[in-house]
Amino acid sequence: MHEGRNASGRRRVRVLAGVLVVMLVAGAWLAATAMGGSASKTISVAIVANGQMQDIASLTPSLFTAKSGIKVKYTILDEGKLREVTTRDVGSGGKSFDAVMIGPYEAPQFGTAGLLKDLTSQAKADKAYNYNDLIPAVRNALSVKGHMFASPFYGESSFLMYRKDILAKAGVTMPLHPTWQQVATIARKINTPSMAGICLRGKPGWGDFGASFTTVLNTFGGTWWSSTASGQPAAAQVDQPAFKTALDFYAKLVQDAGEKDAANSSYNECLTAYQAGKVAMWYDATVAAGFLEASNSPVKGKNGYAFAPVDKTKASGWLWTWALAIPKSSPDPGDAWKYIAWATGPQYLAAAGTRVKGGWAAIPPGTRISTYKIPQYKAAAKAFAGITLAAMKAAPITNPGTTKRPGLPGVQYVGIPQFQDVGNRCTQLFASVLSGSMKDTDALGQCQQIASQAIK
Amino acid sequence: MTAAAADVALKGRVGDPFSSAWRRRLPLLPALVYMIAITQLPFLVSIYYSFTNLKDKTQSLIPEPTRFIGIDNYKQIFSDPFFRQAVWTSLKMTVLAVLLSLLIGTLFALLLDRKFLGQGLIRTLLITPFLLMPVVAALIWKQQMFSSLFGILDKVLNFLGLNSVAFISSHPLGSIVTVLVWQWTPFMMLIILAGLQSQPGDIIEAANVDGASAVGIFRQLTLPHLRRYLELGALLGSIFIVQAFDAIDVMTGGGPGSTNVPYYVYQESIGGGFRYGSASAYAIVVVIFAIIIATFALRVLSSLFADEERA
Repeated sequence: MHEGRNASGRRRVRVLAGVLVVMLVAGAWLAATAMGGSASKTISVAIVANGQMQDIASLTPSLFTAKSGIKVKYTILDEGKLREVTTRDVGSGGKSFDAVMIGPYEAPQFGTAGLLKDLTSQAKADKAYNYNDLIPAVRNALSVKGHMFASPFYGESSFLMYRKDILAKAGVTMPLHPTWQQVATIARKINTPSMAGICLRGKPGWGDFGASFTTVLNTFGGTWWSSTASGQPAAAQVDQPAFKTALDFYAKLVQDAGEKDAANSSYNECLTAYQAGKVAMWYDATVAAGFLEASNSPVKGKNGYAFAPVDKTKASGWLWTWALAIPKSSPDPGDAWKYIAWATGPQYLAAAGTRVKGGWAAIPPGTRISTYKIPQYKAAAKAFAGITLAAMKAAPITNPGTTKRPGLPGVQYVGIPQFQDVGNRCTQLFASVLSGSMKDTDALGQCQQIASQAIK
Repeated sequence: MTAAAADVALKGRVGDPFSSAWRRRLPLLPALVYMIAITQLPFLVSIYYSFTNLKDKTQSLIPEPTRFIGIDNYKQIFSDPFFRQAVWTSLKMTVLAVLLSLLIGTLFALLLDRKFLGQGLIRTLLITPFLLMPVVAALIWKQQMFSSLFGILDKVLNFLGLNSVAFISSHPLGSIVTVLVWQWTPFMMLIILAGLQSQPGDIIEAANVDGASAVGIFRQLTLPHLRRYLELGALLGSIFIVQAFDAIDVMTGGGPGSTNVPYYVYQESIGGGFRYGSASAYAIVVVIFAIIIATFALRVLSSLFADEERA
């Protein structure tokens, strides 16, 4: 009895010792990795899951880390999730990211609110970065009173892409400056069960469905909010006839001649559908043309490009750029700038041309004047480079519709903080209209309520 | 020492921190303090926020000071049609998912209660959906089953010569309930199976000897015996399913017919609205309702265990 207890006691001691050893080893290993982590520098960057960003993420180790010794940890998210994460992190002063990808909607707002680092002086001082090479329209969209808060990675407008062969077979031609009525007529004419007439974004989100739709809304004479003389939102205008006309036009066109399951389709889904030959036309970002004409694209050389269709205004294309910014709360702003200067500088563009899968046509476009002087790019992007630049120049950023807009400049969005939430929730309602599970009048009524409540 | 004296020594004088009773509780104190710090303090802060107009810094160009606005946030809740919609969606989603998974779970449990070849394998396969992470389950359903571009259901429909259905966008609630039922059926099945296996065999035998039909035995003996287990399954299922979030976020990202109460609170706060003040008020109203439901659940649970002890 006595011996038995002794033996079990010894066993217990041995087990305890074993546990202690395991904990010690684990502790030492953790400490070692933690120290290792602080020895080699690592920055965290949040980017959008679009093609050009995927490319740079895969090229970063060989082109950037190898030279600078700075490791880059990417968080790659779809547009909606990225916005949620960056807004949360930037707004709360979180330290998760050293650089975040934002656009002309966020940069001026966050910049004015004092949440982003002003990049102007660094950008001007950095010879290799070449501040004056940035396309002015893009640079201005990311600046407030001459202070640049984000550095553009690619810039875009919106236009209409179409299959020349399909339109020719149907005996129709697309004018260079079409109206929405012309586009709708053609889309309905060429629509077949196996190939939809047109791909239009229908996935909820202000930057998804909301962006495409707002350009249509603008040119149809509608607006989300009226503006006071000082640029404050005055009253929600979703219940106005022009808004209903625009939504009905968009929904009807998608239902008659649009892609399958439009309420789940945005830029990436439409790109896949267009390349797979499932749609004949596509109204979306100019940056997509780079993938349509890429060396590995199945539709290379078959495409025509026309300016964004209009109704009551002269131009309706949007202006957007995905750009990198440094939150004020970034733990390592110095290395973050080194990274941004490389990722958005002219050297990356020159290096990417021979390395990305799609070849020269698929490099990030629309940020630098020098890009359009690279001979290889000029050759590869012949079909769309000119119209891209012209569309970006024509984007009616300060006066996109027929009435005065509240907030900061913007075409496919309203430059006030409330638009993010209102745009997201209303496009959820509108997506239900596209899929036929909700009546347009119900959706508009509820959206009017959301839009009114938001500016109270 | 007499029993009474021992009792006094154990209890010690009231409030004396060095009494033996307190010395015994002392080792528990760190855990208690920790629990209060991470659960109760944030809750108190939330209550405070719910009376203010606190917003995220990104939501105003010119930083606004946070103001105390009394019960405005609470007044807004009861006039907010979208919150009412969310409550209604929550109700439909929970009731449908719980009832369906309970029904299917009972059928599976009855099947597994009898011996057959490959029983172990079938049981493991039936439990698997419950072991998957909810996000993964939702993604599998969204991309591989429901997708109208490369979903299996779409292929089947086309093979049968039917038109494609955009399941998620046309039937958001139905799609989400399908996934929830798929996930929670194994849970119900396990509870019911435990109930079936605790059913005394001699009663069934006696009923058989008396010439009762299988349906009769099920209706008059098995079902009454299972009642408690069905109640338990329904209650636990409701508690878990009412807070469904993963499936909604992954499959629809909210919208009419799929935004339930937890998702609405999320949208109002960190999910895009960034109005922390009013979101706190919503959350507190939800907590009050949750406490009421949980009280009922606990009562049923304790009565179940009381029955077991009596038996």
